Amino acid sequence: MIALAILLTGAGSYAMRAFFIFALARYAFPPILLRALEYVAPTVMAALVISMLTTPEGELAAGLPEVLGLVCAAFAAKTTGNHILALIAGMGTFWLIGAII
Amino acid sequence: MNTAPNRPALRGSLDALPLFIPALPFAFVFGVVVAEAGIPEWLGWSSSPVIFGGAIQVTLFTLIGEGASVAAAVSAALIVGARHMLYSVTLAPRFQNQPGWFRWVGAYVLIDQVFVLSQIKPIDEPVAFRRYFLSAGFTFWTLWMIFTAVGVVLGPAIPPEWGVEFAAPVLFVSLMMAASDRRDKLAAAALAMGLTYLLASLPNRAGILIAVIASVAIMLLAHRRHSS
Repeated sequence: MIALAILLTGAGSYAMRAFFIFALARYAFPPILLRALEYVAPTVMAALVISMLTTPEGELAAGLPEVLGLVCAAFAAKTTGNHILALIAGMGTFWLIGAII
Repeated sequence: MNTAPNRPALRGSLDALPLFIPALPFAFVFGVVVAEAGIPEWLGWSSSPVIFGGAIQVTLFTLIGEGASVAAAVSAALIVGARHMLYSVTLAPRFQNQPGWFRWVGAYVLIDQVFVLSQIKPIDEPVAFRRYFLSAGFTFWTLWMIFTAVGVVLGPAIPPEWGVEFAAPVLFVSLMMAASDRRDKLAAAALAMGLTYLLASLPNRAGILIAVIASVAIMLLAHRRHSS
């Protein structure tokens, strides 16, 4: 039963990834849709961040160390464009503030 | 921006590597979930090549461990992964001038990190795009295969009090900033954050998909009013 669940989930997640690539292979995208698609990457990343910081009940699971860590990471990412530096800035701030308070 | 990098395959691998750092502790979380669900290690690990999606795999095994039915566990896992449909739509224009085999293979490695890399570094030249995409995708794939195997064998190797899981939202904030190269995109991201928070109690993280679609629609309406 577990093997079946894995296979079904694998087939389903592959289908979700492949579906529109194949379905829209010859579709002439109107400009309004192309503009809409430009917003997908920033909004999905934003939604994932909040989703990772909330409990399944919808409570925010982030205190001062998390919030300041994310702010520093965002600032580092914007100024350097380097994800490793953003990780160092974010985790460093998170650990530092966590150790202080 | 739309220039083809030199040696796109190498670039893809190098760009994927730092993005794997937060996936490392997640591979150990995955190992713990498999162990707690009482699933044999090899069977749990087999979900890595079959599904290739960390959050989807963890959701599936968490629910199986809680005694959910196959139908319930599979559908919950697929709702968690529903955002991949948005990636499929978004990349469809770039896959139009690609050969058929790449559509089949590329879809298989279309995960969060590979998607966002393809958006941050848009490459118009079809061969360079394909090499970059596949190289980033299979670098991530190889590392995920190795470290989920290590994860199911070792289990809880990283003490939870270190808080290394926080590396995941930190990386995604960094990716969000990289993907927001215009002010309206940053506004869209802020809007999506607020809406996701309001919808956070929806089951199986369905709020992600709704928040994204709603914020994209709001941005389009705002743009129309602004330009008319």
